[in-house]
Amino acid sequence: MACVYIPVQNSEEEVRVALDQLPRDASDILDILKAEQAPLDLWLIIAREYFKQGKIEQFRQILEEGSSPEIDEYYADVRYERIAILNALGAYYSYLGKIETKQREKEEHFILATQYYNKASRIDMHEPSTWVGKGQLLLAKGEVEQAFAAFKIVLEGDRDNVPALLGQACVEFNRSRYSDSLELYKRALQVFPNCPGAVRLGIGLCRYKLGQFEKARLAFQRVLQLDSENVEALVALAIMDLQANEASGIQKGMDKMRRAFEIYPYCAMALNYLANHFFFTGQHFLVEQLTETALAVTNHGPTKSHSYYNLARSYHSKGDYEKAGFYYMASIKEINKPHEFVFPYYGLGQVKLKSGDFRSALSNFEKVLEVYPDNCETLKALGHIYVQLGQVEKAQEFMRKAIKIDPRDAQAFLDLGELLISSDTGAALDAFKTARSLMEKGGQAVPIEVLNNIGVLHFEREEFELALESLNKALGDGIWLILTGNKPKSYVIEASASILDYKDMQLFHRLEEDGLPVELPWNKVTVVFNLARLHEQLHNTGTANILYHLILFKYPDYVDAYLRLAAIAKARSNLQLSIELVNEALKVNDKCPNALSMLGDLELKNDDWVKAKETFRSASDATDGKDSYAILSLGNWNYFAAIRNEKRAPKLEATHLEKAKELYTRVLVQHTANLYAANGAGVVLAEKGHFDVSKDIFTQVQEAASGSVFVQMPDVWINLAHVFFAQGNFALAVKMYQNCLRKFYYNTDSQILLYLARTHYEAEQWQECKKTLLRAIHLAPSNYTLRFDAGVAMQKFSTSTLQKEKRTADEVRSTVAELENAVRIFSQLSAASNLHLHGFDEKKINTHVEYCKHLLVAAKVHREAAEREEQQNRQKQEAARQLALAEEARRKAEEQRKYLLERRKQEDEQKRLQQAEEHFKRVQEQWKSSTPASKRRERSEVDDEDGGHSEKRRKGGKRRKKDKNKSRYERDDEEPYMMDDREELGDEDANMNYEESTTQMNDQDDDNGENAQDLLAAAGLEDSDVEDEAAAAPSSAAGRRRRAWSESDDDEPLHRGTESSPVRENSAELQESDGEIREDNSKLNGGGGLDEED
Amino acid sequence: MAKSMKLAGLKSVDNAHDESVWAATWVPATDTRPALLLTGSLDETVKLWRPDELELVRTNTGHCLGVVSVAAHPSGVIAASASLDSLVRVFDVDTNATIATLEAPPSEVWQMQFDPKGTTLAVAGGGSASIKLWDTATWRLISTLSIPRPEGPKPSDKSSSKKFVLSVAWSPDGRRLACGSMDGTISVFDVARAKFLHHLEGHYMPVRSLVFSPEPDSRKLYSASDDGHVHIYDAEGKALIGAMSGHTSWVLSVDVSPDGEAIATGSSDKTVRLWDFKMRAAIQTMSNHTDQVWAVAFRPGGGGRLASVSDDKSISLYHCS
Repeated sequence: MACVYIPVQNSEEEVRVALDQLPRDASDILDILKAEQAPLDLWLIIAREYFKQGKIEQFRQILEEGSSPEIDEYYADVRYERIAILNALGAYYSYLGKIETKQREKEEHFILATQYYNKASRIDMHEPSTWVGKGQLLLAKGEVEQAFAAFKIVLEGDRDNVPALLGQACVEFNRSRYSDSLELYKRALQVFPNCPGAVRLGIGLCRYKLGQFEKARLAFQRVLQLDSENVEALVALAIMDLQANEASGIQKGMDKMRRAFEIYPYCAMALNYLANHFFFTGQHFLVEQLTETALAVTNHGPTKSHSYYNLARSYHSKGDYEKAGFYYMASIKEINKPHEFVFPYYGLGQVKLKSGDFRSALSNFEKVLEVYPDNCETLKALGHIYVQLGQVEKAQEFMRKAIKIDPRDAQAFLDLGELLISSDTGAALDAFKTARSLMEKGGQAVPIEVLNNIGVLHFEREEFELALESLNKALGDGIWLILTGNKPKSYVIEASASILDYKDMQLFHRLEEDGLPVELPWNKVTVVFNLARLHEQLHNTGTANILYHLILFKYPDYVDAYLRLAAIAKARSNLQLSIELVNEALKVNDKCPNALSMLGDLELKNDDWVKAKETFRSASDATDGKDSYAILSLGNWNYFAAIRNEKRAPKLEATHLEKAKELYTRVLVQHTANLYAANGAGVVLAEKGHFDVSKDIFTQVQEAASGSVFVQMPDVWINLAHVFFAQGNFALAVKMYQNCLRKFYYNTDSQILLYLARTHYEAEQWQECKKTLLRAIHLAPSNYTLRFDAGVAMQKFSTSTLQKEKRTADEVRSTVAELENAVRIFSQLSAASNLHLHGFDEKKINTHVEYCKHLLVAAKVHREAAEREEQQNRQKQEAARQLALAEEARRKAEEQRKYLLERRKQEDEQKRLQQAEEHFKRVQEQWKSSTPASKRRERSEVDDEDGGHSEKRRKGGKRRKKDKNKSRYERDDEEPYMMDDREELGDEDANMNYEESTTQMNDQDDDNGENAQDLLAAAGLEDSDVEDEAAAAPSSAAGRRRRAWSESDDDEPLHRGTESSPVRENSAELQESDGEIREDNSKLNGGGGLDEED
Repeated sequence: MAKSMKLAGLKSVDNAHDESVWAATWVPATDTRPALLLTGSLDETVKLWRPDELELVRTNTGHCLGVVSVAAHPSGVIAASASLDSLVRVFDVDTNATIATLEAPPSEVWQMQFDPKGTTLAVAGGGSASIKLWDTATWRLISTLSIPRPEGPKPSDKSSSKKFVLSVAWSPDGRRLACGSMDGTISVFDVARAKFLHHLEGHYMPVRSLVFSPEPDSRKLYSASDDGHVHIYDAEGKALIGAMSGHTSWVLSVDVSPDGEAIATGSSDKTVRLWDFKMRAAIQTMSNHTDQVWAVAFRPGGGGRLASVSDDKSISLYHCS
C-alpha cells in the first residue's frame, strides 16, 4: 500500500498518510500540510492521488491552496515545486477547457489555465515543463502554430525533452505533417524507450495516416502488448480490420471492437462502430442502445455527430422518417462544416424528399454536392427534386452532369429520358436508347417499360418501323405473335371476318381449344395497347382490332380499348357500333370523361342536339369542370347552336356566342396553350367581325399545330382561309384551302372544295369555280346542292359574258354551251325533286330552268349575231386582204408602167438619137417610130380596167357599211332584251328572298341547302349590283359578305366537330399512354429511391 | 401458294389529259388490233391509247362536264362513256361513230359495265337508287333494278340519298349484279328474275368500286370503300369473308387480275396497291402518282398489264408477273 510520510515540523516524526485512504474532506490533509509546512512535492503527490481517485474537488482544493499567495511567500525559494503545482493546475484547466462543449465555460477554463501557466513562467520563465504545458494548452485551444513555438522553445533547450517531443509530434499531426510527426514520436521513443503505449499509439496513427497500414498495425499491436487493455489501439486495429472489407476482417474487427467495448464500455468510437455494424446486420435495437450510450459518454462533436447519424439511419431504414429527420438534424448540429461529415446531409435530404419538403431536401443535397461535386446519386437526387419543383431545365442539367460523370449509369439515362419525354422527344429517345444499349452490354434484361417508352417515342416521331420493332421487342414471345401476323395465318384470317362484332371472342376460345394459351401478363397490357395504336396508325385496322379485343378478352374493364375500338368504328362511319362500344366503356365507368365526350360527339353526329349537350355536361361534371375537352365540346355546342339559330333569333345567337366564348376562355385560362380553345376563340372573334385579331390567333395556332403527329388541325387552316375570304383576299384564301385539302384530306373533302368554289365565285373566276364544283360532285355524288351550285355558276358565267361590251363569238358559243348545261342540270334537279332526292323547292329550280332557257334564247341570238359578225369579220378580212392584193398589184403595175415609161423614154431618147441619126440618114423611115405609141394606148386601157376593179371593191365597202348599220340595229333591238333580263333577275331576287323566308324552316335540317341558297342569293345580289335594281338593295354587300362568312363558317364547325374529335382522341390516347409511361416512371423512381436509401 | 405477283412500271404519260383522269378500262383486242386503254377525264374528253407505249390513238369529244365512267363491250368493238351530265354515249371504238346516246332522267350515271356476254349494259343509277339495264342490240332501257327502300315510318330524304348507287359489277356468269351505295351497303340482284336478293353489310361509307372474282371463285366479290378498306364477300352466302386495310384514305377503285390471284386497288392516298387475297395483305405499293388514283384496270386476256389513272392527269402502265 503506497503511503506518503509528512515530516512533522521540528521533529523526526512523520505523519503517515495512506494514499488509498485519503480523507474525504481535503481540508483535513490541508491542515496537516499547512501545519507541518510539508514540502510542496508532497502537496502535489496528494493532490495527484485525489485526482487519480477521481476526487477532483479535493485535487483542486489542495492545488489551489498550494498555489496561494501565502505559499508563494512562505516557499518563495522553492521554485520548482511551486511551478509544478501551477503547471498541474494549468494542465487540469486545459483539460477541462478541452472537453468542455459550452463555449463560454470552455473559454473560462482556458483563461484560468493560461493564468496558471503565466504565473509559473513568472517564477521561472525557462522552466521547460511550463512551456510544455503552455504548448498543450495552445493545442487544446487549436492554436497549433503558437503551440509549435512553445514546444520549440523547450526542444531548443533540450532536444530530448520527451513531453515536448510528444507535444510537437501532436502539433505536426494536427498540421497533417504525418512524417514529421512520426519522426518526433520515434525520437521520443528512442529517448525514452519505456514510455507508455500511448506514444506508440501516436506512431501507429501517423503510419495509418501515411498509408503504411502494416506498420501502423504493428504499432497498434505493440501498444496492445504493452497495455492489452488499451482501448484506442484496439479500436484502431478493429477499424483497420473492418476497412479490409473482407468477411474475415470484419469478423476480427468486430471481435476487437467488442473487446474494446468490454474493456471500456464508454469509448464512443467503439460504440459508434459497433452500432454501425449492427445497423448493417439489421439489429436496430442494438444500434439504438449503443448509440445512445455513445452519446451519453462523449462530448466530442464529430463522434456525437456520427452517433446521431447512426441513430438516424436506423430510424430511416425502419421508415420512421420523422425521428430519422430529427436525428439527422442533431447529427448536423454537431458539425461545423459539411466537409467534416457529410452523410447526415444526404440522409436528411432523403427524408425531406420523402416528406415532400423539396426546398430543404434541395439545400441538403446541395451541401453534399459541395463536398462531393461529382457524386452521381446526389446529382440524380437533385435532378428529381428540380423535377418536383417544376424546374425541368435545372433537373436536366443535373441529370446530364450525372451522365457525364458516369456514362455507364443506365438508370441515370433512364431518369434523364423520362425528364425529357414531355419537352424534347428526340433527346429523350436518345437517352432511353443509350440506357438500353448500356443494359444490353451489361447483359442486363432491358425492362419492358424502357422498350415501351422507346417504342412510343418513335411512334410520336412518326418513325413507325422503329416503333414497331421496339414494341415487339418489349412484348417478346406471346399469343400476340400469332395475332399480328408473324405466325400461322389462319387465325388472323378468321379474325378479320369477325371484326364486325366486338363481342365476338370466338377467336380466343378457339386458340385456347387449340392448346394455345391466351395469356396477357399485366405488365404487357400497356405495350399491347400501344402496339394496337401503332397498327391503327399504320392503317392495319384488322390487327389493331384483334389486339384491342385481346386486351378486352383478358381485361374486360380496360376502358381505353373500348374507346379505341369505338374510334375505329367511328372513323368507318359505323356510328351504331361506335355508340355501343362507348356504352360498354361507360358500363365499366359511367363517369369516364373520355367516354362521355366521345358519346356526346357521336350524338352530335347523329344530330341529337339535346342529348349531346347533356352528355357533354355530364362529362364536364365528372371532372369537376377540369376536363378541357368537355368544356371545349360545350363551347363548340354553343357555337353551333348560335349559328344554327342565326336567322331566327339574333338575341339567342349573341347569347350562345357569348357562352361559347366564355367556355373557350375558361379552357384557355386553365391551359394557355390549348390550341383548340384558341381556335374556338378565334372563330368567335371572327364571327363578331374582328378579322385581324382572329387572323393572328389562327396563324399562331397553325404554327403551333404543325410538327406533331398527334396534332392535326385542318380546321385552323380552313378558318384562316375563311378570314382571308372575308377580307376579300381571294388568292390567299384559295391557296390556303388548297393546301388544307392536300395536306389533311388527300384532296377528298368536298366541303372544302365548296369553299374553294365559292371563293372562285367571288373572285369571278367562273371556269375554276365550275371545275371545282365538278370535282366536288365527283367526290360527293349524292350532294345535289353541288349540282345546283354548278348550275348557278354556269348561269352566272353566261350572264356575265353576255353583259360584256366586247366578246368573241367563241365566248358566246361557250356561253351557249354552258347555258345548255345549266338548263340540263336544273332540269335534272327539277325532275329529281319529284323523288325527294334533295331538299330543293321545285318551283325555285324551275325558275332557274326558265331563266336559263330564256337566257339561252337570248344567247343563241347573240351567238348568231356574234357568228354573223365573225363571218363579216372574216369577209372584211378577206376584203382587206383583196384590197391589199389589189393595192400591191396596182403598185406593181405602176412600177411596171414607170419602168416602161422610163424605158420608153430611154427608147425614145435612143430612138430620137437614132431618129436624129436616121433623120440624117433615113428621113423617110419616120413612120416606123409610131408603132410603140399604139402600144402605149393599149396599156392605158388596162389601167382603166384596174380602176373599174377598185370601184367594185368600193361597192363591197359600202355593203359592209350597210351590214354595220344592220348590226347596230340589231343591237338596238336587243336593248329591251337586256332590260328584260335585268328585270327578271330582279324578280328572281325577290323570288329568292321570298323563298328564303319560306324555306328556312325546311332548311334548318339541311345546312347544305341553306348554303346553296346563300350562294344563289349572292348570285342574285351580284347581278343586282350591276345596275339600279333596288329589289335586293336592303341586303347590302356588307351584309351579304357577312352572311357569306357565317355561311361558310356554318359548315366549318360541323366539320370541325367531326374532325377535331379524332384528333382529340389521339391526344387523349397520347395522354393515356403518357400516363402509362408516367406510371412506369414512378415505379422506377420508387426503385431508385430504395437504392438510394440502401 | 404460288409465287406472289409483282408490279413493275412500264410507261407513264404525264398530262395525258388536260384535267384529272377519272375513268379507265381496257377495250378487248379485236382481230385487227390489240387491246386498247380507254380513259375519261374532267377535261370532257375520252381517249384511246395503244399499249405498251401508250400511244394516243384518238381523242373523243362531245361530252359536257367531266367524264365519270367508261365501259367496253366484251367484243372490243363498241364502248360507252358517261359524263356528269348523266348522258351515256355509245360509240364504235375504231371509227368513233356514235351508236347511241342513253339517258334515263332523273337517274344519274355513275359506273357502267357490259355483261360478260355483251347483251346488256348495266349503269349505276345514282340517286334513283337503282341499276338501269340497257339492251345492246336495240339500245332500249330493258329493266330497272331498284334497291328496296328500307322499312320505316316514312322514307325520309336522308335515307333515300344514302342508297345512292355508285358502282356496279356483273358476276362472271352474268347471273348476278351487285351495286354499291353511298351508305356503304352492297345490294345483290338476280338478273334473270330482276329480283333483289340481299344486302352485303360491313361498309358504312361510300362503295365506289366493286368487282367479282373470275371463275372458279366467282362467288367472291371485292369492294372498295371510302373507309379505307377492301372487303371480300361471299356474294351468294351473304357473308363477309375478309377485310384488308392499309390504304390511308379512300379506296376508289378495285380490280382483280384475270387469273384471280391478285387484287389491285387505287386510292386517294395516291398509291396503287397490289394485294394477295390468301395473305389478306398488301404485297406491293406503287407511289408514282401524285394525286388520287381514280381507277385501276387489269388488261383482260393476259400478258399481265395493269393501268392506273389519277387526278394528277397522268396514266400509268405496269407489267405484272
